[in-house]
Amino acid sequence: MTSPETHHTGTFDTATQGSGLGAFTGTSVKRVEDHRLLVGDGRYVADVVPPGCLHAAFVRSPFPHARLTGIDTSEATRLPGVVSVITGSDIEELTNPFLPFLALPGLYTPLYHSLSSERVRFVGDPVALVVASSRAVAEDAAELVDVTYEVLDGIGTIDRALDPESEPIWPRAKNNLLYDRTTDHGDVEGVFADADHVFTETFRCPRQSNQPMETRGILVEVDSVTGAVSVRAATQAPHMLRWQIAAYARKESGPQSIRSFLTNPERRGAFLAAAKAFVGDKGEALQSSDSTAMQHQLKTEPRTALQMVRTGAQLLGRDDYPHVDADDIGGGFGAKGSVAREEIAVAAAALAIGRSIQWIEDRMENLMDGGQAREEELTLSIACDADGTVRGLDVDLVLDQGAYPGNPVGAPITVRIMEVMQPGAYRFEAFRQRSRIVATNKGKYVAYRGPWANETWARERMINVVARRLGLSQTEIRRKNMYGDEDWPAAMLTGPALDVTCSVRKTLERAEELADLDRLDALRADAVSRGKRLGIGFASYHEAAPGPPDYFEHVNPGTSALLDQPATASVSVDGTIQIWTSQMPHGQSHETTYAQLAADQLGVAIEDIELVYGDTSRAPFDLLGTGGSRGGPVGGGAVRKVGRHLRSVVVAKAADMLEASVDDVTIERGNIHVAGVPARGLTYAEVAARVVADGETVDGRDGTYAFSVDDTYTSAGDGGWSVATHVCWVEVDVETGIVEIPRYLVVEDCGPIINPAIVDGQVRGGVAQGIGAVLYERAAYDEQANPQASTYMDYLIPTATEIPRIEVDHMETLSPGENDHRGVGEGGMIGAPAAITNAIEDAIGVTVNDQHLPPYRILELMGIIRPD
Amino acid sequence: MSDSTTHVAIGGDITIGCTVNGEAVAVQVPVRTSLSDMLRAALGLTGTHLGCEHGVCGACTIIVDGAAVRSCLMLAAQAEGSDIRTIEGLAVDGRWHPVQTAMHDHHGFQCAFCAPGFMMTAVAMLEDDPNRSEQEIREELGGNLCRCTGYESIVDGVLAAVATLRGAS
Repeated sequence: MTSPETHHTGTFDTATQGSGLGAFTGTSVKRVEDHRLLVGDGRYVADVVPPGCLHAAFVRSPFPHARLTGIDTSEATRLPGVVSVITGSDIEELTNPFLPFLALPGLYTPLYHSLSSERVRFVGDPVALVVASSRAVAEDAAELVDVTYEVLDGIGTIDRALDPESEPIWPRAKNNLLYDRTTDHGDVEGVFADADHVFTETFRCPRQSNQPMETRGILVEVDSVTGAVSVRAATQAPHMLRWQIAAYARKESGPQSIRSFLTNPERRGAFLAAAKAFVGDKGEALQSSDSTAMQHQLKTEPRTALQMVRTGAQLLGRDDYPHVDADDIGGGFGAKGSVAREEIAVAAAALAIGRSIQWIEDRMENLMDGGQAREEELTLSIACDADGTVRGLDVDLVLDQGAYPGNPVGAPITVRIMEVMQPGAYRFEAFRQRSRIVATNKGKYVAYRGPWANETWARERMINVVARRLGLSQTEIRRKNMYGDEDWPAAMLTGPALDVTCSVRKTLERAEELADLDRLDALRADAVSRGKRLGIGFASYHEAAPGPPDYFEHVNPGTSALLDQPATASVSVDGTIQIWTSQMPHGQSHETTYAQLAADQLGVAIEDIELVYGDTSRAPFDLLGTGGSRGGPVGGGAVRKVGRHLRSVVVAKAADMLEASVDDVTIERGNIHVAGVPARGLTYAEVAARVVADGETVDGRDGTYAFSVDDTYTSAGDGGWSVATHVCWVEVDVETGIVEIPRYLVVEDCGPIINPAIVDGQVRGGVAQGIGAVLYERAAYDEQANPQASTYMDYLIPTATEIPRIEVDHMETLSPGENDHRGVGEGGMIGAPAAITNAIEDAIGVTVNDQHLPPYRILELMGIIRPD
Repeated sequence: MSDSTTHVAIGGDITIGCTVNGEAVAVQVPVRTSLSDMLRAALGLTGTHLGCEHGVCGACTIIVDGAAVRSCLMLAAQAEGSDIRTIEGLAVDGRWHPVQTAMHDHHGFQCAFCAPGFMMTAVAMLEDDPNRSEQEIREELGGNLCRCTGYESIVDGVLAAVATLRGAS
């Protein structure tokens, strides 16, 4: 089943013609994207400035927490070149507040606008928007806006937020605890009472930030004649942005919206058909979603109901939603999966003024408000027997979501995924988790590459703590307790099914083989001779990329349908081939990998495939775009499915033309022919021409096509787990506290690989972010929530001198299903913090409870300097 | 917050004469314009990217009179009379520079927002001295940030370009 052989090193010149199924998939085809991106021909959002375009800059709060007592825009408005200054109260007149996207039982989600008017809640909170003839003038004017504040106590730590007397950041919530829920699986009390030992540790992860090299940005164009709105943005989810702009960026009269919907039979019909299609076979699943969640929200924030009705009516009442187009994007790592308050404010301004406006965020804004993540405290207790059998796991999680909720993906869904994944691939008998979300006066918590990664970090740290206390090795305790092939079919205590694709233990065993463990003592001795301490750390995880078919129902019942992935494949009347995806690439090389998958299905060359994405008037609809390691398995699964479908209809037509049976027709190098008779073949253009001549063209996504077929890869697809074991070697300098990484090994299993070089790049990039998190990066705040890292002099992103070579070894377990590519976008970041901190603990012999370990912290832990 | 004495927009334009990618240009820009804004906004050379605008990330790196510089930290006015090269000028008659080819061969970049800065840094370094070890390359590239790749593919690309340039010389 598995073929644990090593690296794929083959490269494939993209000029080579495809020669039937499977020629490209599995090879390191060079990137299609490079042809524009390596010559400076990319089109990132800042690169497009239409004539007459205005520019925006935000006025932001310099205080973590304050009441806004006055705002004077007169001086700013008088500056030559300034067109408009829009304040928080203007925005309340112009727009709708943001609504909760996902409701969890007991969760409070505040309603808020894109600019703040009465209270500011973090340093960087936008209070006004200046629109001017240039960015420089807009920034000058922003400094002329005179805002007066009455300063409130800033809440900068989880401990302060948990204090019930702390100044409530969201007064309706009464205090700063927004969510508190405990779930039990199995007989927790019994197992903990019965086990030989119970070990407990608290692990703390400070705030990190996604920090894509391109900041956020948006261009909202308003057609001066028609009023039509067209948007370009750096977004991972163009359809989500489109809907949110339609919902929030202007406020319309509710009754008028409803009248407009009811009196327009076309719109009514279209809506009912779409609703019927969406609910379809998912009706039962949708009904299973928990209504107690919304009841709590409505009790705490009664305005939610009215706003939901008003916004819903507004969405139904018109069909001229803005058109959103995303082109090249300079990275996201989850941050651009959020719809920014700034994006809604700029869209509202453009609509109000009737002119095009561009906003390009600067780096300081990005460090304050561009998305932060991962700040969590987890207390883990493991009940185990004397022989090292782990039996019970009890977890107390507190997540610091900052001031404003992530929109749409933030703390609540992260907490749910952390809960579901927390037990990992270990055979626990019982599991309890208490999860709390607190508000603090910090930048908002967003999804950051493997958003739930701290479940892996804390668990893999705790497994090592147990091993040390019991005198077992890191690998022994893992091998002893992990699920393996003898266990299938199995299920996690939290619900999701485990099968052969959960090959975590195999990656561990393979990692042990490759790690030269018999040389470890010699390495340690050598390090000591140089004034250093060498340590080794293992960490293993499985992640739902995409997960088994039942996975998301355990995370958030009733919402699996959101994860469905549509794709279209078409042949134009001139014979060119298009693949249409709802994925939104921002560095993952979709144009290359999807061309590989489609070219193999269709028997053509890589350059014969045009990938259509990013443009909401053309790309298929899905709300989530690219994220969650779903591009390969789910987006790719949809491409394979639709490619196969297109091939079948093309072959059927060609078989007619060739007077042959479809079973005898093959496609090689774009030549559609009866097997063995390539000389009498047809091209795609010839088949398309016959379709036209026969009057058989079809309406496709964007006009008339010779062929056009649609498919959906549903959440009930073949699925499966993506897994890895990371091994990190560190050398700690006992004088300076500096940590070096002489070797780093990843053994991963994401099933059959589409493009090995791209997989390696994803894994290495993720590990580099993990190294950054542990050794360099921290979105630091003081106790009152004043940011301490708002430039790249303070927020330290590792460079080429800090990141070592990273060995990647591939295993390729086949899933029982057909579409068995699995995701790798997030895994590197999930495994790395655990492996690195485990290695540091092994090196210094002191329990490591922090994820962030700069040199001073290492010296503190070793007792060389005293903590202040 | 407001301080009208120090935040008045600085008026007046200046005309900058320089050579950009082999062509002589004369560009009129506001006096306070940075060189990066002049290239991007006035000349439409949007291949030079702005990642941090405070001289740390290196995305805006271009070559001025043979040296790699951060165009966000240089005023357009300082470029008077200089010879400027940007990513758009790297390929000659559609033929890629060896650094571009090597990056393509080694899957050097992912989102590639940082790519122009890395490649201009690499070109300046290799023109200065093509005999570079991996450690030297890593140190020279240490002023450019990439958030996607973990740098290995970029370093491999530069090493391959070193081999190509050695073979050619």
